[in-house]
Amino acid sequence: MPMPSINPRSTVSLHGHPLHAMLVPVPIVCFVGTLVTDIVYWQTAAMLWADISAWLLMVGLLVSLFAATAGLIDFFGDRRIRELRAAWIHGLGNIAALILSIFNALIHTRDAYTSVVPSGLILSALVVAILLVTGWNGWTMVYRHGVGVRDKGSA
Amino acid sequence: MKSARLAFGGTAILIAITGCGPAPIDPQRQIGANPYLPPIHQYLLPPTHVAKVVGWNGATPIAAPGLKVQAFATGLANPRSLYVLPNGDVLVVETGVPPGPVSRPKDIVMNWVEKMAHSRTKPGQRILLFRDTNGDGVPDQKTVFLDHLHSPFGVALVDNDLYVANTDAVVRFPYTTGQTQITAPGVKLCDLPGGPIDHHWTKSLTASPDGTQLYAGVGSNSNITENGIQAEVGRAAIWQIDRATGAHREYATGLRNPNGLQFEPQTHMLWAVINERDELGPDLVPDYLTSVRDGAFYGWPYSYYGQHIDPRVQPQRPDLVAKAIAPDYALSSHVAPLGLVFYTGTSLPAHYHGGAFVGEHGSWDRPVLNGYKIVYVPFANGRPSGPAEDVVTGFLIDGDKARGRPVGLAVDGQGALLIADDTGNSVWRVSAASP
Repeated sequence: MPMPSINPRSTVSLHGHPLHAMLVPVPIVCFVGTLVTDIVYWQTAAMLWADISAWLLMVGLLVSLFAATAGLIDFFGDRRIRELRAAWIHGLGNIAALILSIFNALIHTRDAYTSVVPSGLILSALVVAILLVTGWNGWTMVYRHGVGVRDKGSA
Repeated sequence: MKSARLAFGGTAILIAITGCGPAPIDPQRQIGANPYLPPIHQYLLPPTHVAKVVGWNGATPIAAPGLKVQAFATGLANPRSLYVLPNGDVLVVETGVPPGPVSRPKDIVMNWVEKMAHSRTKPGQRILLFRDTNGDGVPDQKTVFLDHLHSPFGVALVDNDLYVANTDAVVRFPYTTGQTQITAPGVKLCDLPGGPIDHHWTKSLTASPDGTQLYAGVGSNSNITENGIQAEVGRAAIWQIDRATGAHREYATGLRNPNGLQFEPQTHMLWAVINERDELGPDLVPDYLTSVRDGAFYGWPYSYYGQHIDPRVQPQRPDLVAKAIAPDYALSSHVAPLGLVFYTGTSLPAHYHGGAFVGEHGSWDRPVLNGYKIVYVPFANGRPSGPAEDVVTGFLIDGDKARGRPVGLAVDGQGALLIADDTGNSVWRVSAASP
């Protein structure tokens, strides 16, 4: 039986580095990028931008499935994480963002203008807005409550 | 647990929403001059319903009363179009889709759908010649007439010049009656819009009755401009190509994917069958048969069936929409007409004299399959004069399995109707049933 840690522990980690934290930048950047390329498509109607949005959504969704799995295991892996209000906001918000992004990817399979305007663009903006909130709460978990952070002095 | 339940609920909602769409209407409401046009429905996930390919296994298509069907040729490699030479020799064009780029994730899925809808046989890139020396309707000689072509489709003979429409050029070959093989190199008459993106790649070809002009069908490079409007230069049009010089002009435009170019024998008007756009619902937009007027604009991509605006095209062009004319005769939605022939023979029952046969390749994006048959459209005074009737069916069994899919049509030297079946890798011959 290992000694209980002071900080809430990450269950899925590589050599003490939480996998969730390593994976989330990919979907975050992809979904923010989707909003950017959607806006550029809306303004230019040049199909290349809509195509890039579709690729960004696909890569973002694929990696977010792994990130979400790691995050959920961490969430259920330590009771002290589940006791944090920030963890609930972070988790539920990100699940909502993931579901909206699945819809968004389907909208983006349409052909030409209505693959982006207006539904795709609105969903992309909504997802980024959610990510701002869930990101903030994720940082609260780590920087205020030390979730997944190695205890000072431990090996 | 709460979040897991939420995720499950979200997935269930997703499946429920993507599953819906308007129920398909009776295709009969979209046959003829004034088809019913339902409101546009844009999907989250379009219904992809491809008939599973099961092959013929000795069976044959089913002909209407008074007609019979026999196999003319089997074991072919994706036969898509037919041409009958003046001496009765039958040319069968084996051909397939040229490779194209993957521009977005959807292309990967669409390539897979396309593959599922066709036979597993690797398409040929050549033209075969079949000769029936004893006139029994069964060919007894077969030769490779022309090999090493580039996704060929249309063929037209004027005097001793045989023209083949590859996907990227019209090429001329010398031909003398009776020849069973051409080894002479072709001479390019005119480039046609080909790759690297070559979405609608079948280039139909016919010659004007006086033999001075060729007409080539050049399909659009997308469903609805999703490859960019710059990819559509010279496309969705019928080209008129001067035989003497190879110079071309766009004879008619706004025709999304025109095939089966034919001159109506009585009025000498050019006619074609057109594949209209997808993903606006199971009953939009009806494919059609139309006379093609010089200089006319038929709407694609900006509008359909006259001036019904397609919201997917930006920037829109109200100036062009104002000029768009409605076609003559709707065939109902997503039937995918690829073959057209006016019946000029006499050996079929009198009922079929003077009208047009249309080969319908069949739908892939409609919950209830449509097409997969040959229909007959009666004509009077050079215009359609009644509802389309089924002439050859049996390509589908159990409602959702395909034995074959009809494409190009031709009338042979004895007045029988020939049908190229690309998925069944056969050519079928329809003649009058013995009394």
